[in-house]
Amino acid sequence: MQRFFFNKRLIIILVSLIIGFLLIALSITVRNNKATPPLVQQIGNDAVGIVDRVVEYPVAFVKGAGGTVSDLLNTYSENQKLKQQVDSLATQKASDEALRRENSQLKQQLKLNKSLTDFKKISAYTISRAPSSWQNQIVISKGSLAGVTKNAAVLSEKGLVGRVVEVNKTNSKVELVSSTNDSANRFATQIQTDSGVVNGLITGYNSDTNRLLMGQITSQKKIKKGDQVITSGMGGNSPKGILVGTVVKVAKDDYGLASKVELKPAADLTNLDVVTVAKRTD
Amino acid sequence: MRISKMRYFFPLGLFLGLFLDGTFSNLFSKQMFSTNFSIESRLFVLWLVMCVCLGEVEHSMFWAVCVGFVFDLYYTGIIGPFVMIVPLIVYLTKIMYSFFKPSFIVVLLIYLIDIALLTLLFYWINVMIGFTNSSLTSFISTTLGPTLAYNLAAFVICYFPLQRFIETFSR
Repeated sequence: MQRFFFNKRLIIILVSLIIGFLLIALSITVRNNKATPPLVQQIGNDAVGIVDRVVEYPVAFVKGAGGTVSDLLNTYSENQKLKQQVDSLATQKASDEALRRENSQLKQQLKLNKSLTDFKKISAYTISRAPSSWQNQIVISKGSLAGVTKNAAVLSEKGLVGRVVEVNKTNSKVELVSSTNDSANRFATQIQTDSGVVNGLITGYNSDTNRLLMGQITSQKKIKKGDQVITSGMGGNSPKGILVGTVVKVAKDDYGLASKVELKPAADLTNLDVVTVAKRTD
Repeated sequence: MRISKMRYFFPLGLFLGLFLDGTFSNLFSKQMFSTNFSIESRLFVLWLVMCVCLGEVEHSMFWAVCVGFVFDLYYTGIIGPFVMIVPLIVYLTKIMYSFFKPSFIVVLLIYLIDIALLTLLFYWINVMIGFTNSSLTSFISTTLGPTLAYNLAAFVICYFPLQRFIETFSR
């Protein structure tokens, strides 16, 4: 017994293993239960974030310069394509505006000041991404000082990207919808079919095919390929009406009772320079 | 007592490598995190292993714990895995290196063993805490293989400039 305790190396290894696993357990508890990490951790994250911005800026600048050249080469063909879209967009915009106005008038008559579709937009740029296959996380440049809250939905210009998992003062971490961990991907969504809406949950992600999985669907309404899927605003974290993706495949789940739907994500999860945090206002 | 300049450059390079990892992962995420494979950039381990092997650095264990801590704090938010793995890498590198004479191939092999071990242990911890459910076979084909290939390429490109740098400032 005496000799065992004098084996210094063994003691060091054991103690550091115990401390390491305690730290892991502690940080997972904080991640699942607390709105913000402990103050010390926040200060550390903010300090590291500031240094990281200094490193990120020149690299992004060089990459941007390279991108500009390739953009220049694509300009002509892109211009042709965009010209065709512009005409249809103008009419769409006018009708959207009319509808929005009508909607707000109707809301006023109903004395509905805030509904599930209202949200405050907080724009942020992406500082860096975790160099890890298992945490699909990005670090964005806004934190609790700008009003970011934990579990808020995060979107790119095309659709839903993920949710906020950790809020510091000046930066926060966003877990992308492509994460497969146990506590991720529980967005309440609905499919807009021809015969009405069908509610469900995003239950997983297939990384081999880049498809989101939507489950918990018990409705018997007919779902067809190409139907759009939006967030339903239920559950209290995300606002209603954010595009998640389009249906590509419908099948029965393993027990043959509920439907299992595969979605093609609307947002490109590998090209996130600027993101928007959607903070619910109700 | 003579003070080597590596005393300052070693930690600076470590953190620079760490931030470059994150920046590259973000800017080139289309290439690095595609559907069939994902590459984990580990430039800071390259600097760490080269400094431990070729340079005279002090307090390498302390800085290894620091850089592992910052990685966990800033990127993953789960403090622990890298705090344990990075010092282990330094320890193993020192043991392995004591058997060999310094050369390109020796450092390369030690580096590849380190990267493979780090990726494997990191995967194992993430399986244990429920952050991934991918099987060992799919881990080897989608993560370990591409990660080793990328880091090998980074090593081959950076070895000679870094070797020159470290030897100049170790004197």
